[in-house]
Amino acid sequence: MTHSSLHIRKFATWVIWLVVVLLYGCTEPLFIDVSGSDSVLVVDATITNELKNHEILLSRSSQSDTEEPIPERSANLSVEVDNQQTYTFTEIAPGRYKSDMAFAAQSNNAYELRITTAEGKNYRSKSIQLPQATQIDNVYAELTQTDTGIDGVNINVDSFDPTGNSVYYRYKYEETYKVIAPEWRPWELVLANEDPPIATDALHTEEKRVCFATEKSNSIILTKTTDSSEDRITSFAVRFLAADNFIISHRYSILVRQFVLNEDTYEFYEQLNEFSESESIFSQIQPGFIIGNIFPEDGSDERVVGIFEVSSVSERRVFFNYVDFFPEEALPPFVDECRRSLATNSEVLGQAVKAQSVSLAGFLDNGDGSVTYIIQPRVCGDCTALGTNVEPDFWEE
Amino acid sequence: MKNRGIFFWGNLGLVFMLCQWSWAQTTKQNITISYENKTRKEVLLQIEEESGYEFYYDEQGLGAELISGDFRSTPVTKILTEIFKNTVINFHVLDTQTIILTSNVVIQDKLPQSFGFLDRENEKKSDSLSISSLPIEEPPPFLEEKEQQETELDIVRIGRQRRGVKQDEYKLSGIVKNANTGEPIPNLAIVVEQLSLGTVTNANGYYEIELPPGINIIQAQAIGIETSRKKIIMYNDGRLDFDLTDSAEQLDEVVVESNRIQNVENVIAGVVELDVAEIKTIPLVLGERDILKTAITLPGITNAGEGSSGYNVRGGRTDQNLFLLDKAVIYNPSHFFGIFSALNPFVTGNVTIYKGNIPSEYGGRLSSVFDIGTKEANTEKFTGEAAIGPVTSNLSVEIPIIKNKSGILIGGRTTYSNWILRSLDDEELKNSEASFFDIIAKYNDKLNENNSLEATAYLSRDAFSITSDSIYSYKNRLFAIKWNHQINEKNTLGISLSNSQYDFNIEFDGDADKNFDLGYRINETELKAKVLSVFNNSHNINYGISGKLYNVDPGYMDPLGSSSIIEPLEIQKEKGLESAVFVSDNLKVSENLSLDIGLRYSLFAALGESSQPIYDENLPKSEGTLLEVREFGANEIIKTYGGLEGRVSGRYFLLPDFSVKAGYNNTYQYIHTLSNNTTVSPTDTWKLSDLNVEPQRAEQFSLGLFKNFDESNYEVSLEGYYKKSKNLLDYKVGAQLLLNESIETEVLQGEGKAYGVEFLLKKNEGRLNGWLGYTYSRTFTKLESQFIEEQVNNGEYFPSNFDKPHDFSLVTNYKFTKRFSLSANFVYQTGRPVTFPIGTYFLDGAEFPLFSDRNKFRIPDFYRLDLSFNIEGNHKIKKFAHSFWNISIYNVLGRNNPYSVFFITENGKLQAYQSSIFSIPIPTITYNFKF
Repeated sequence: MTHSSLHIRKFATWVIWLVVVLLYGCTEPLFIDVSGSDSVLVVDATITNELKNHEILLSRSSQSDTEEPIPERSANLSVEVDNQQTYTFTEIAPGRYKSDMAFAAQSNNAYELRITTAEGKNYRSKSIQLPQATQIDNVYAELTQTDTGIDGVNINVDSFDPTGNSVYYRYKYEETYKVIAPEWRPWELVLANEDPPIATDALHTEEKRVCFATEKSNSIILTKTTDSSEDRITSFAVRFLAADNFIISHRYSILVRQFVLNEDTYEFYEQLNEFSESESIFSQIQPGFIIGNIFPEDGSDERVVGIFEVSSVSERRVFFNYVDFFPEEALPPFVDECRRSLATNSEVLGQAVKAQSVSLAGFLDNGDGSVTYIIQPRVCGDCTALGTNVEPDFWEE
Repeated sequence: MKNRGIFFWGNLGLVFMLCQWSWAQTTKQNITISYENKTRKEVLLQIEEESGYEFYYDEQGLGAELISGDFRSTPVTKILTEIFKNTVINFHVLDTQTIILTSNVVIQDKLPQSFGFLDRENEKKSDSLSISSLPIEEPPPFLEEKEQQETELDIVRIGRQRRGVKQDEYKLSGIVKNANTGEPIPNLAIVVEQLSLGTVTNANGYYEIELPPGINIIQAQAIGIETSRKKIIMYNDGRLDFDLTDSAEQLDEVVVESNRIQNVENVIAGVVELDVAEIKTIPLVLGERDILKTAITLPGITNAGEGSSGYNVRGGRTDQNLFLLDKAVIYNPSHFFGIFSALNPFVTGNVTIYKGNIPSEYGGRLSSVFDIGTKEANTEKFTGEAAIGPVTSNLSVEIPIIKNKSGILIGGRTTYSNWILRSLDDEELKNSEASFFDIIAKYNDKLNENNSLEATAYLSRDAFSITSDSIYSYKNRLFAIKWNHQINEKNTLGISLSNSQYDFNIEFDGDADKNFDLGYRINETELKAKVLSVFNNSHNINYGISGKLYNVDPGYMDPLGSSSIIEPLEIQKEKGLESAVFVSDNLKVSENLSLDIGLRYSLFAALGESSQPIYDENLPKSEGTLLEVREFGANEIIKTYGGLEGRVSGRYFLLPDFSVKAGYNNTYQYIHTLSNNTTVSPTDTWKLSDLNVEPQRAEQFSLGLFKNFDESNYEVSLEGYYKKSKNLLDYKVGAQLLLNESIETEVLQGEGKAYGVEFLLKKNEGRLNGWLGYTYSRTFTKLESQFIEEQVNNGEYFPSNFDKPHDFSLVTNYKFTKRFSLSANFVYQTGRPVTFPIGTYFLDGAEFPLFSDRNKFRIPDFYRLDLSFNIEGNHKIKKFAHSFWNISIYNVLGRNNPYSVFFITENGKLQAYQSSIFSIPIPTITYNFKF
């Protein structure tokens, strides 16, 4: 290497370092002392036109990283109807309040939520009308391919409101699917001795092969018909299931619930949704507090998070089997590769059985009357790792 | 032969020291000498021979006249007195064998009390002309470059100094004539810089002014006349005539320059004038001299943070500044997110910033006007300047086309980072881009006595990768042509036509099917005619009309590549016509009171073709409250807005160097940026007012006190302002602005208020010079509405994004010698407000961040220290190139000042991050040379 090219290299390195500094600079977490800020009341309240004991959740915002909401306990809660009738609520679990009477929200009535916290602070929601009730016309599964070429199944909704008043829709779903443990054996490993744990084998005492797992939607699914000439929802995809998603391996069922919302409520969820989406330099959004419809009664500017939602609900369930859509294809890969191993160390085996992390895959006859167990991850031979072995009431084969 | 030139004086002190030990030779005191029709030099040689004295003198100063004389046994001093009787030459018998001849100056026998070549500050104050106040060197002017200007000034010595005669003032008189016509120039102002002195020529062009002894810099200025500056050394009463030429740039004369005396005198308050030359020694960022970055060290002008483009002037938003480059609008005057300004320092002449009262000829922005002027090309000889820095290289040349008539100035600047990136092996780096360039050409032509023409063309472009798979680029392009015509002695007409375009583009080339090409463009064309009428000494009237046509392409997104599934989208175009008539009078009421009264009527028409949504007035604007969409045809008027704008200011002299100024200003703005970032972001767009977005308005009241001390070596000012604005654009929580087809449902229009006190102390001369500025200011926004959805922070005033109460800057330069100087900058600012996550909450089983009220918290304070060391090449006049080295360290303290604050959801938790641009000290070396 000549002397001058060395110089150029050095210079180039330096300039690149500089460009990196310019473009990426230095990014580090920023901590600002927000300890002066009070935690705020969080209200998760939905009243629908279903006749039932409605539930309302009260919690508080948290400054530390909590996995669970901090419940707001011992509050007095009531829903007032047209300033006449009052439905009271009772705390049935920390922060979970249930109406004492079953009731259904009626159209033409205005509902107001009132909260008195244990501290004695009073809050009241705006007066909310029940939106138009619109029935789901159809929920169906449809073979589809995404824009990016992934095969799968869409769960679509059709709905139509001839009055044109529904407009704002939110969907939630609850999906239940059958799980069949792929490496189920008639035997299982149980503990012969608790301490120290010693494992032995036995016949199953309960169903471990076929189970049912249920999951709720965890995203805010919204749509509106303001851009359409009529208040019609056609083939709105509530859920996309990729063909290789193991939850559709056998039989799958989804309950789609359609909520017709007020415009304010819709906008609240829309804003909430924006904050949960990932942000890029191209789509910076204005951060801030999302105003709901619950305010303190003393007229102070104290914030209350959440919205008192009064919505009309309609639901429909659909079932399908994997073979209905993919008759020729192999099942989607199971959640686990199900690798097996020999349990040569009985102490380790005992611990693993106690921790419920393994299931039995086979035996190896040692020839001296003893056996060595072949083990696998629990989920491969025990479906209760994923769901319940009790068939749900609604289940249809 | 002992001809020692003028440079001898520089060593005079040393001579004095030596002579105490020097050997005394025998010299004759009385000599007999006779000469006829000889030059003085020959006579002196004769005397040297006769007397044994040695003479030291500058040969040229002796002149070529022939003299005659006859002396018998006469003292040498007497003979010399006779020889130099009618000249400006003095002589001094230094010791028993040396005689020094000087022009004008009497050499004192004794050293002054302080042996003070190094202590010129003190001496300046004394009235007597001690030896140390000889014009040995020019006094060090404020900053380096300026000195060079001044050395280029003609030095005129007036009168001959006589021993024992000391007066406080001498009289300077003369006649001012037009060099072309030979006519005397009446009503021409003769102003003495640094002093509050001035006079005006009478009808015969005659003037008379009393000046203090010593160095004075006087300026002769009149409308339509090239301003002349001369350095005058007053030894006695004397005469100085001026032959002045017509100015090629009559329009510019309207701007009352804020040079030293005008700090106090200027009628318009809140004007800052920066000379590019002045900032030469200010510490640099990556080797770039930057006039706009210097501006933010002055009170009342800030930016959102390090490396952010956009300036906040007196609590105004970043979109409220009118940046004019040779009178054409420049939309994004920055490179690289604002780390560098897009103005080539070599071709920039000066910047005048109106932050208080905006002259009525300007309009369309609420807060300020940055009037940036490009230098005029040298029409006499080819010159150039070049700089080599670590990030960019810069070259400018001035080429005369017709001598003394026309010339062209061309300047260009570019980075070499791209070239280096491309030559690398690393794939990732190879495909990334980071570059910018700007190029400017200015042509000026003095067509004839009464007409002149000027044309400027400018282009700047930035391109860089924000992420590894996207390239972001933006471009400013402008063209301006200006014709000045002298109608008659009292009236000058200026007509200008300009066109500016700003666009940006993002190409995303990452995912196979989500590639897109996104862009934005704004284009404006302005035609303006202005007449300047000088009625008499007390009225300067300025009036005219202007019309500006806007064409905005608010955004498009097209799929990039055949596999892209992006749906093409184009937001409908916007068009608008902004016109104005304006008049102003600079009125001298009395010796002490001057007023500047301006009026402007502006009218904006939003034009079709367009579909304008109409919302229910009784409900918040949203899709649900849309009543109808009204269609407008091409060029059909959608809506007009307009109003009268008053621009009034006055100055009253409390003392000759102490004035009070007050002003009132109201402004309209019909174009708005859409930006929900605190800093100016790459995707900010400009939107015109339309049916749903009303023009912004502001009113400002200001009051200031201005005082100069110590012959204007120190300037002190204290200014206060109060500003109220209406219809400021702000955004709803969750607003998304780019490519939004119904943007009016995302924006809010609210009120603003801002107030502040600005203090500036400036030291113009001496080894240590610079300034110290401190501003206390607050700025608030109120977004109140009858609808809770359209309220922010309960409809109460909250601090604006750029509310930074304390702002302190110190800019200093210390000169060790003529060649070496050290500069230091220190800046401190309160951290700006931020909307910050204050916790999390669960709703519907999911966790969400809880944000505080808008702008409730502040990011950490900003402070930074920069140092630079400047080495001037030696001052040999004949050297081919004049060079200049600058070694700077930016951010010496390594302070991690946040540039932007953003939030990222990680593992379900929202974490705030700050990014800094220069978190470590950045050293740079730059080499500049002039040829």
